[in-house]
Amino acid sequence: MSWEHFIYFAIAAVLLWAVGAWAAWKDKTGMAYTTTVLGLLVFFSFILSMWISLERPPLRTMGETRLWYSFFLPFAGLIVYSRWKYKWILTFSTVLALVFICVNLFKPEIHNKTLMPALQSPWFAPHVIVYMFAYAVLGAAAVMALFLLFRKKPLTSHLTPLTSEMDITDNLVYVGLAFLTIGMLFGALWAKEAWGHYWSWDPKETWAAITWLAYLVYIHYRQLPRHRNRLALWMLIGSFVLLQMCWWGINYLPSAQGSSVHTYSTSE
Amino acid sequence: MWTKPWNMKEGFLIGGGLIFAGLLLELSVGPVVWEAFAWPANGIVLAGFLAIIAIVFLFRKKVYAFQFIGTYQAAIPAMVYAVVLTIVMGLTRQQVNGTWLNNMLSFWPFVLVYVYIAVILGVVTLKRIISLTSHHSPLTSNIAFLLNHLGLFIALTTATLGNADMQRVKMITTIGEPEWRALTQEGVVKEMPIAIELKRFIMDTYDDGSPKRFASEIQILTKTGKNIETTVDVNKPYEVDGWKIYQYGYDTQMGAQSQISILELVSDPWLPLVYTGIYMMLAGAVCMFVIGGRKRA
Repeated sequence: MSWEHFIYFAIAAVLLWAVGAWAAWKDKTGMAYTTTVLGLLVFFSFILSMWISLERPPLRTMGETRLWYSFFLPFAGLIVYSRWKYKWILTFSTVLALVFICVNLFKPEIHNKTLMPALQSPWFAPHVIVYMFAYAVLGAAAVMALFLLFRKKPLTSHLTPLTSEMDITDNLVYVGLAFLTIGMLFGALWAKEAWGHYWSWDPKETWAAITWLAYLVYIHYRQLPRHRNRLALWMLIGSFVLLQMCWWGINYLPSAQGSSVHTYSTSE
Repeated sequence: MWTKPWNMKEGFLIGGGLIFAGLLLELSVGPVVWEAFAWPANGIVLAGFLAIIAIVFLFRKKVYAFQFIGTYQAAIPAMVYAVVLTIVMGLTRQQVNGTWLNNMLSFWPFVLVYVYIAVILGVVTLKRIISLTSHHSPLTSNIAFLLNHLGLFIALTTATLGNADMQRVKMITTIGEPEWRALTQEGVVKEMPIAIELKRFIMDTYDDGSPKRFASEIQILTKTGKNIETTVDVNKPYEVDGWKIYQYGYDTQMGAQSQISILELVSDPWLPLVYTGIYMMLAGAVCMFVIGGRKRA
């Protein structure tokens, strides 16, 4: 199995997810679950066969992590849907997954088979997978924030978001932050085994700390008895920008060049 | 301004004051000298720090500023300052011998803001523990709160104070020659309580020649009388007498024929405390996922 076969799996998965999203709008809950799960299975079977043919988990290159991101978006959507029954969440997660699938289809990157010894660890898969799940959920929170800030409702205009809408955002952030924390701490435990120290303020670690703290500001600000929801939503968008810096931005950051142990694709 | 109850504005001013004080310290006494915190100094500092937190907590009804430290209005500005200073750190090149922004970890404003956060964490933890006995808020959210805040407090303080006690040395082992000397990070030769002899260097490569695995079959003799034969792989260190032995490097010119193997030996006596904090935070994160954004009753 290789990237040439990706398009067939991607089309099948996206179609199944789209049917699931439509079923959620039509209150066909059972159908929404079934098709979304089927789509996830189709997509995961591609990841799994890549894993087997590469003889390593496909988690190293940006293209490979995008693969997981595309998988976890509908997965996170499904969990949120099963817990809080938001009709829109499956549509949203499908569209976002499609974006990342398209990036992988139209801007494929060189993928090679090798995996340097530092990455050969049982921590590798959980560390990256947990992070990708966190990014997916926090991405959902950021889009929710954009929606609440910029939607147009000229007639029944209520500029301030409703409590129920803010609660959705909070739920997404709590789930995302929980996974962000787990991903970061798994990284620390792994770093101790691989590099001799659990935290070295490597640029990736520094930006992970920034991202983590930024989301902490949001959840604490929301606990303030008197706070402005719109400011809180802007915080979420700002935090997600910082998250992008942590995820891929540091690859382009002059201050991080040559000093990060997290840039694997260029260091060989 | 400064009319009670204090709000975010006062919180930002206090944080700003700390940064200003930090700048004055940086100008007058120079950067933070973390090496000075080696045992027993770090133990004494930790005891003093815990005492300060206890005093702030106990006198919170008498001194308004102490009461304020345990509020969101103090915590949020502190975190905002930490985010901003850490962003500056992320945007500037960090160097061991750097000054000011180029060596953020020794830059007083940065250190003071994080110390302030640790004080806040300590105080809110004590406040929550006390309220457990008087209030009847849901137990799960209290457990999550304590795991997250106390866990971060423990990890932050013990990792920072324990850093001076961490030893990291490189030992260049050669086939057939027991080695007991190692090089510290400053390049000083140090005699170790452990002697290591390289028995065999193992190297596998991929088809394109990039390394797939490198490892060392070694024999370890310790002053405590242990005689151990083991293999040290990347990602699979071996621990003996408080030292973790890591595969670090080899003679890259020779590749698979390398006759030497560079091992890193790390001792970190504070690690169990840091890990206690980390595991608490992991448990706290699981609680956070389970509870979600549910509002406190």
